[in-house]
Amino acid sequence: MTDRTPGIDPKLLEILVCPLTKGPLSYDAEHQELISEKAQLAYPIRDGIPIMLPGEARPLGDAATVS
Amino acid sequence: MGNEASHQAIVGQQFGQRANAYLTSQVHAEGGDLDELVRLAAGHRPASALDLGCGGGHVAYRLASLVGEMHASDLSEAMVATVSAEAKRRGLDNVIAERAAVERLPYADRTFDMVVTRYSAHHWHDFSAGLSQARRVLKPDGLAVFIDVVSPGNPLLDTWFQTLELLRDPSHVYNRSEAEWREAVETAGFRPDGVSHFKLRLDFASWIGRMRTPDAHVAAIRSLQALAAREVVEHFQFEADGSFTIDSMLLVARPA
Repeated sequence: MTDRTPGIDPKLLEILVCPLTKGPLSYDAEHQELISEKAQLAYPIRDGIPIMLPGEARPLGDAATVS
Repeated sequence: MGNEASHQAIVGQQFGQRANAYLTSQVHAEGGDLDELVRLAAGHRPASALDLGCGGGHVAYRLASLVGEMHASDLSEAMVATVSAEAKRRGLDNVIAERAAVERLPYADRTFDMVVTRYSAHHWHDFSAGLSQARRVLKPDGLAVFIDVVSPGNPLLDTWFQTLELLRDPSHVYNRSEAEWREAVETAGFRPDGVSHFKLRLDFASWIGRMRTPDAHVAAIRSLQALAAREVVEHFQFEADGSFTIDSMLLVARPA
């Protein structure tokens, strides 16, 4: 096992929406984020688990911090 | 005095530290309500199901074989990680974990054939918003199953129950009576369609152990129990070691 997690299931993308706007999300595989354009938020995916909490999301416009 | 943290943060702290205790808790892993839930799922055969406030994941493990996709969501990062790992360990590849708040569910409208919540709703910060969200993500011909401990519906006994719960767990919000549940479920756009009642014996040592209840609160609970009136003792069946028995309910509802 490695820390590298595979992308999320495409079927999951069909049902997941932004918890704030209920609008669609797009998947950023490189940064492992789910992007809500309408809310201007990026929801992180950690260890393959989407973190669908606005308080944990990165506001778009802030540089992605990848360490 | 007090805690600067929000209710959401306190819930996260309480359950984050205790994820494994809920995974291994017998009260949570077993019970007539879980058997009834399995029977309902077997009859409904949902292509997709959601467990709101999945905790240790026992609903997901039991329903996984009867469901196409089993989604388990929880506010607590540790709970979701625990459930994801345990599902993999058990070879339940169709269990999908997401971290979400019930008041703001991240699922499209009419996604699930079955929505379940078990022993979670009494922790919800906004109960009616959670129920409305459950209704929103359920398909029109879907099945909702609400399982929770219920308050006796008598003011004396209600006060006792809430007090014991709060002393044990500062993230406790409110245990509703069956009447309050029915009213809230109907307001959220459901039609109640059957109810089952269960007795739940809480072993005192494991009940406080799961929450790491501080000694001062344990002493307060024991002191209260020693002073309880006969009708309180009889209702909750207080035992010498502090163990007691409460009521739980499984309420089936469909979109109205």
